[in-house]
Amino acid sequence: MKKYLIILFLGLLLSVQAVQAQITLSLALNPRPDPYLSEWIYPVNGQMIISFFGGTVVKDPNVKFRTTILDQNGSVIGVSNINSARIYTLRQGVNQFTMADALQLQNLKFTGNVQNLFQRSGRLAAGQYQLIVELTNTTGDVVESKQTKQFSVISYQLPVLIQPANEAQLDAHIAQNMITFRWTSLVPNTSEQTFYRVQVFEILPDQTPMQAFRGNRPLLDEPASRGTTQYIWQPNLPMLDSIANHRFIWTIQTMDAKGIPVPVNDLNIQGRSDPFVFSIVNQTDAMEERSKRIENSTKH
Amino acid sequence: MNYLTKIALGVAITLALNANASERKDSLTIKGDMGIWYEGYGLNKSPGSPNPNFYSARRPWNLFRYSFNPILSYGKWEIPFNFNFSPALNNFTTAYGTKQNFWQFLTNPVNSFGFRPKIGTTEFLLGTQFLKYSDLSTGDLGIFGYGINLSPGKFRIKLFNGVSQSPINYMAPSGSLPNGVVGAYQRNQWMAQLGLGEEGKYFAGFNIVKSVDKISSVTSPPLTPIEPQENLIISFLANTTTTKGWKYNIELAQSFFTRDLHAPLSLTPIEDFRPFMTSHTSTSKDNALMLGIAKKGKDWEIGTKFNYFGAGYYTAGYQFMTNDRMEYLLNTHFNAFKKKMNVVGSIGERVGNLSRVAGPGLTHQLIANINVFTQFTDHFTLNTSFNNYGFNSPGLSGYKSVSNELSVNPTYTWNNTKMSNLLSGTYTWSKYDETTIVPPGTTHNNTQTVLILYVPTFFNSRISPDFSVMWFKNSAPAIDLTLLTATGGMSWKLNKKIKLKGQLQYSLSTTQPFTANKNLLATTGFDWEVFKKLTWQFSATANLYHYGSQLPGSSLTPVYPGSPGYFESTVRTGLQYKF
Repeated sequence: MKKYLIILFLGLLLSVQAVQAQITLSLALNPRPDPYLSEWIYPVNGQMIISFFGGTVVKDPNVKFRTTILDQNGSVIGVSNINSARIYTLRQGVNQFTMADALQLQNLKFTGNVQNLFQRSGRLAAGQYQLIVELTNTTGDVVESKQTKQFSVISYQLPVLIQPANEAQLDAHIAQNMITFRWTSLVPNTSEQTFYRVQVFEILPDQTPMQAFRGNRPLLDEPASRGTTQYIWQPNLPMLDSIANHRFIWTIQTMDAKGIPVPVNDLNIQGRSDPFVFSIVNQTDAMEERSKRIENSTKH
Repeated sequence: MNYLTKIALGVAITLALNANASERKDSLTIKGDMGIWYEGYGLNKSPGSPNPNFYSARRPWNLFRYSFNPILSYGKWEIPFNFNFSPALNNFTTAYGTKQNFWQFLTNPVNSFGFRPKIGTTEFLLGTQFLKYSDLSTGDLGIFGYGINLSPGKFRIKLFNGVSQSPINYMAPSGSLPNGVVGAYQRNQWMAQLGLGEEGKYFAGFNIVKSVDKISSVTSPPLTPIEPQENLIISFLANTTTTKGWKYNIELAQSFFTRDLHAPLSLTPIEDFRPFMTSHTSTSKDNALMLGIAKKGKDWEIGTKFNYFGAGYYTAGYQFMTNDRMEYLLNTHFNAFKKKMNVVGSIGERVGNLSRVAGPGLTHQLIANINVFTQFTDHFTLNTSFNNYGFNSPGLSGYKSVSNELSVNPTYTWNNTKMSNLLSGTYTWSKYDETTIVPPGTTHNNTQTVLILYVPTFFNSRISPDFSVMWFKNSAPAIDLTLLTATGGMSWKLNKKIKLKGQLQYSLSTTQPFTANKNLLATTGFDWEVFKKLTWQFSATANLYHYGSQLPGSSLTPVYPGSPGYFESTVRTGLQYKF
């Protein structure tokens, strides 16, 4: 009798185990996902895996997700609407979803300022966050499985060019030997190995600066020393020559340790800062012109 | 109907209208210019290529560029052409393939094929156009397409539709193409402006600019993160100038931007803006504002500007515009002491990271500069300038930099019956300090530059020489660079039509504790007025560079027994015909 009781107990235990193990949810979230939440559709940001095994008891394969996002203080900053959540029908076995399915942006409502920033920029502010995904039945009142993952959002702002300033005029006698480029650092100043490439393009005859920038090969494309925001270029170009190009457009390209442009909020995904134009002028010509101008204005 | 067909149709309509509108007695006149420009480049290295690669070619080996800019006038019609193009592919910041088809050639940003037939207040825009509607909408990109500008009475109406980016198929890296081809979607862009205005007095109107990447334009699409995008700008623009010298301008703009058209359609976070935009989960919406007030007097002008760009403000018209910032600027210029002194100055601040998306703190950038030019006597002038740039990004991952630069430039001229002399000196002192929190510390970067220039002018000679010497020193942690250069130049007016010119420069560049790098730069050439309307310019430059112990041959792989060096040669020539 005791033997039968033990067998019966084990059988009940296994059947209960089978029911409880029917659905498991696993979030494989990149700890530093893309700051643009809409980009979570791509696998590089992670995946959500749901294992569904029917077991001995018939289980409804239709489920919904409830998504909650907490900030670093543990305050809820975003919750999905379970009533309007999409219903997914699970297949037997392993079901794969993108992180966008877990995030369900179409159905996620952020609070106050977070919602405002998200509508304006598509991003969350830099910081630490928690993503909680609950797998529920279609009415949302039974939580079948739940998982919490932490992630951090890091956004960068590209350097701003300082010198030569936009539309600056440089003396040809000096500039044909040496031009100093300066720019601000990447924000935030990262401890990771980022480096800057200085790129200078000649503006050829009849070209606009942006035409030169988009269509020409750079005359200079060199990395600055790591950790510095200055580059001294020794052009060794005959800038005093009347037929030489006297207009240039320059920029900084900010790269990560792998040589890939840092992900920033520019349209081009190139890590290139807003370029500046500078011109080379022959000091003697400029002085003569200025003297004439002053002489003329005095006469008038 | 594709773009070429539409353009051909536009030209046909233009010519037909032209034929109808013109009278027989009207004669066709053509003025303008055309030219060809060539640059050849050569590089010989010691040790030779391919290894070690201690210096890379910095120009294409051969580069031709053609220009054709006539203005045709016939009766009331005026048709300016602007054709400037190069058959070579040298794109760097934009995608390019191994070769380009005709459509890619037409829409390559390096090329321009535009003409604008005009009759009265009606102007047709065909081919490549650079259209600046405003500072916040569209401006610095070339767009290949068609459009029209109308200005009946005080109304100003502008319409244009075209392509601002060529379609390029993605190609994976391979043996013959080690970097592959990044690829790009064709970007279609249309824009419109409707307003009221009077030339030189006022303008008020609305701009709308829409750009969208055509997903089907490529058979092999670019890889993530290059995704098809969509952008819409609506802006209100107004400016006015009063008779009393006041100028006011304002522009308010809102942008809708879809970062990725592959993202699911969604009414959150942004609702559709029909009929112009259908929202995706990657759609955002933000604003920008520009304000300016200026007052101009007889010998002075003062003005102030304020700009704001939201964190999600984007415009495909200015692709590299920095957003998430606010800035204000006060600028002035005036003459004093009977116009013997001219002062130009400005001071302003840029505040960045307004949305805090890149950290908890704002960034602050101060920009201040002043330039004072004084003519003390007929013979002596002094130009002084001071620039200050300060940048501060607070926080644990903070950064601070301060740049101060002072430049003094006295010039003295004296004459006698046979010649005049100009002696000019420039001294520039620059201090650049950078401070980081992690690792904690400040680096000081000091720079000094001295330039002495002497230019004698002989009244009875066709030869005009000039001489200069320059000394430059940069001191920073791990850097002690000194540059010493002597330059001599000469131009010789052979006759009324031919001017010969030449320049020789020798420089020593020393980075302690190494021996100097030596450089000889020689240029010669001529400007020749072959005929009254045809000019020919030619210039040849030789650049000989020898490294010192900073790059010893023994440090190269494979080892080189001597001192490495290179010889660069550049030939540049241009023929221009004016008609």
